Amino acid sequence: MVVVVLPPILAAEAGGQSRFEVEASTVQEALGALPVVDRLFDEHASLRSLVNVYVDGVDLRERGGLSAKLSGTETIRLVGAIAGG
Amino acid sequence: MPVVVLAGTKKGLFLLRSDELRQGWTLDGPHLVGWSVYHAILDPRDGVLHACTNHEVYGATVHRSRDLGKTWEHAENLGLPDDSKLKLERTWHVEPGHADQPGRLWLGAAPGVLFRSNDGGATWQTIEGLLAHPTRERWFPGAGGMCCHSIQLDPADANHLHVGISAAGVFRTHDGGEQWTPVNSGTAADFLPDPYPEVGQCVHKLLRCAESSRLWQQNHCGVYRSDDGGDSWQRLDGNGLPSGFGFALALHPRDADTAFVVPIEGAENRVTSGGRLGVYRTSDAGASWDLSMEGLPEHAWTGVLREGMAFDALDPFGLYLGAQSGSVFASADEGQTWTEIASQLPPVLSVEVGAWS
Repeated sequence: MVVVVLPPILAAEAGGQSRFEVEASTVQEALGALPVVDRLFDEHASLRSLVNVYVDGVDLRERGGLSAKLSGTETIRLVGAIAGG
Repeated sequence: MPVVVLAGTKKGLFLLRSDELRQGWTLDGPHLVGWSVYHAILDPRDGVLHACTNHEVYGATVHRSRDLGKTWEHAENLGLPDDSKLKLERTWHVEPGHADQPGRLWLGAAPGVLFRSNDGGATWQTIEGLLAHPTRERWFPGAGGMCCHSIQLDPADANHLHVGISAAGVFRTHDGGEQWTPVNSGTAADFLPDPYPEVGQCVHKLLRCAESSRLWQQNHCGVYRSDDGGDSWQRLDGNGLPSGFGFALALHPRDADTAFVVPIEGAENRVTSGGRLGVYRTSDAGASWDLSMEGLPEHAWTGVLREGMAFDALDPFGLYLGAQSGSVFASADEGQTWTEIASQLPPVLSVEVGAWS
């Protein structure tokens, strides 16, 4: 199973749960299985620009983006970019 | 009747509670930690809290709580249709529907869009008549974006609404939102080549009197009143107001001739006028204005935003004021004297008042 770890503000949106185990073969599928998917993607299915995704500590941008393949043992961490005040 | 003031801030929602005397207040919060609360209401029809919530990273949505803030859930998949080529930027104002339409709510948002919910805020539908308005190409966003921030319902006709959109103007519908008519005649847009265009006026706040059809608006370019549903507007900021620029607006719940504004220095210096936090009151439909500041700080260079003032319907009625300095002030005597009921909050973006039960 792929583990997805949410930041506190999204965990609050998910009923207080910060860690999810999902079956997914791509990062897109893993994120799409979360109850907070609409906070990660906008209405046109684009990943919000300030949502950073790390797969086993590696920035998703360096792993080929949302279509990056998963083996099923990865840990995905979602981190809001440092922005705003 | 217990009273609750909902103070939406840059970092969460705070609830201030009192009894009908409105002398002592208790502070509860923050709720919705981390979210900027642009506006929040306690729906008088069913006691549900609704909040327009925005986050730099996680976007714009609307939260609701059926248990007075203990738990919250956000709307499902709130957004704009693909073919609009627009993205939802921020949610700005949520308004309960008519008493005889349980579950109906209205939501104003940027970029200049309106939504309607028929299921108590779980899902929202875009109002196409405004989204695809033929004048939209002449709307240009200002510093606050192109926000639909004012939604005013006719208590006698659920299909009759006015909305106010920054940098677009005031629009009216008589068919529940299918067709919208711009009603900006007589309101200035002195930042445009044509200072009196059909659309493009920057209305900052629009309110309808509870017991008459009179409309008031605080605009980027003055304070106005309309006695004919918006067909014509009369400018009112020449007699006693230090500035026609401002955002906040409040009305008397029973007297259509009485209104309150908080003047701001101007568009290029958005601090309280004269270096003080003062509320100006007219009791003669805008012919003259008098300063009320007893209990308000004498030296203040703060801001009061478009949702920064609210009023209740008690007798005497109460007024509430939230400042970007993080203070909330209340007046239990119709604006004559003020008391600071909260301080050191995050910058206050909105205040609203409801009946707590």
